[in-house]
Amino acid sequence: MSAVAAKPAAGGAMNPTAMGVGIVMLLILLGICWYVAPGLGLMALIGIIIGGVLIGFGTHFVPVGGAPAAMGQAPGIATGVAMLAAGAGLAGLFGGAWAAEQGTVIAVVTGGVGGGLMMAITCMMVNFVYVFGMGIPAASGKVKADPITGDTQAEYKSQGTEGHGLPFVSFVGGVVGGILGGAGGTLIYLMLLDLYKVTLPTMMSATEAQIMPIAVSAAGMFAVGMFLVNAVLTAYNITGTIEGPHDPKFKRWPRSVVASAVASALCGIVAILIVVI
Amino acid sequence: MTVKVEVVEGGVPHTKIMAAGIIVSLVCLYLSYLNTMTGTEMFSFFGGLAVVAALIWGSHTIKVLCSYGIGTGVPSAGMIAFGSGVIAMLLATKFGLAAPIVAFVLAIVVGLILGYLSNEVLNMKIPAMVQSLTELAVVGAFTLMGFAVLISGSFTFTGLTTGSITILGASLPSYQVSFIGGSLIAVAFMLGGIAIQHPFNACLGPGWTQDRMLMLTAECGFLSMIVAAVMSFALITTGSALISLIVAIIGWIYTYKQYFALSKRDAADWLDAKPIPDLEGH
Repeated sequence: MSAVAAKPAAGGAMNPTAMGVGIVMLLILLGICWYVAPGLGLMALIGIIIGGVLIGFGTHFVPVGGAPAAMGQAPGIATGVAMLAAGAGLAGLFGGAWAAEQGTVIAVVTGGVGGGLMMAITCMMVNFVYVFGMGIPAASGKVKADPITGDTQAEYKSQGTEGHGLPFVSFVGGVVGGILGGAGGTLIYLMLLDLYKVTLPTMMSATEAQIMPIAVSAAGMFAVGMFLVNAVLTAYNITGTIEGPHDPKFKRWPRSVVASAVASALCGIVAILIVVI
Repeated sequence: MTVKVEVVEGGVPHTKIMAAGIIVSLVCLYLSYLNTMTGTEMFSFFGGLAVVAALIWGSHTIKVLCSYGIGTGVPSAGMIAFGSGVIAMLLATKFGLAAPIVAFVLAIVVGLILGYLSNEVLNMKIPAMVQSLTELAVVGAFTLMGFAVLISGSFTFTGLTTGSITILGASLPSYQVSFIGGSLIAVAFMLGGIAIQHPFNACLGPGWTQDRMLMLTAECGFLSMIVAAVMSFALITTGSALISLIVAIIGWIYTYKQYFALSKRDAADWLDAKPIPDLEGH
């Protein structure tokens, strides 16, 4: 079979059996956690799963253009899904980690603001480069009119391209995606940090102040690891480029939510086992 | 896409590279246990050799996976390798002497489930997906464990979290001066992540040759090992760190020269251009 004749396998189709298996796996992992670490461990795992799902869902909002966008032939930011998700999430994670001592809600909101701010700056500078550097207007190729502003797109779209630049709806999508991703990454970090702060002192027979560097470093490392796993799984779900919430590919999000939930539960339980056994 | 764009033509088959990667990494990781048996830290450099072996295997796995158009770029494969590898590796360090074996088994479990998720739930339907993600998780775990051994001389949780500082001649235990507590693991993560994703990204295309890509991987691995060996001065004795640094520099120079020769061999033409000459009279 040649590359031309092949049809893309990762279409919008759902695989109900696999989704069912995924949900069963999620329940099994939750059950294992309830068995080995009820209470604090289970609460942490639920927080981690929510964080992972936020990352997986949020990434669908981000306008990803890939290599075609770098040549002005597709709308979006000119890099891959995994890189953008990691950038937004890690920016949020660093922002949220600063506020970790002020309580979960403030820290998660701070993380969301950090991620959203990073995406807002990225989207604005990308449009600056497109408009003033490459001399192309922003136009979507997937919809006739911008769903938010109502501006028509077809007049501005160059022939032979899928659109170019960042239309307003993609900009908003990018910021929303950054907020969700940053909040999710921070939530994972906070859940693990709270768990390690309580359990590590007894495990290593040291005071809380002494083990703080280890708790912060291990929680941060696990959060980065889970973030990258979730970001890459979402990238596999999107396969290539997406314009934002108005793109037809956005409808694939249920698959990603199931995959992110199972992956986060799996990684989360490993991270919890380190202080239990 | 279900179409495989490139095929492995000639060269060493993938299963052979995989078997060699597993065996060499495991043997090197266990050789570093000589540290504990002899009471020195001289054998830490075996961790760096385990890193290079695992990276060579991993870059070939990335080649197998990314030959199918996965549409997300080659770096994403390196990122998921280390994302899942660091999780398996950190838990495995709790098992003392069995840590490398436990990391191997645990990474296989994590990789299998992630492979199932991407192939079935996310509907990727790529034949090599499950096996590749499993292999990549093991590669990530081995690479990080190798860096841990190289930098701190040990692969146990206690060894990675406890260091000592000397104040006025007295040695005090400190959790901050350690591989995990000092967040050296984050640097090791990115050093490995770049080294694993770069070779195929740099060598892909119609002119791809297996030996050139693998030589570039070894070169990237030794380059990362130089940086890690410099960091190891903070945690292990100066003499031991110096041994690691010398091994890394010798390995890097050799592989760099070899890679240069292979690039010349594969190039269409080679012009030994001189630098821009200084104009006379200035």
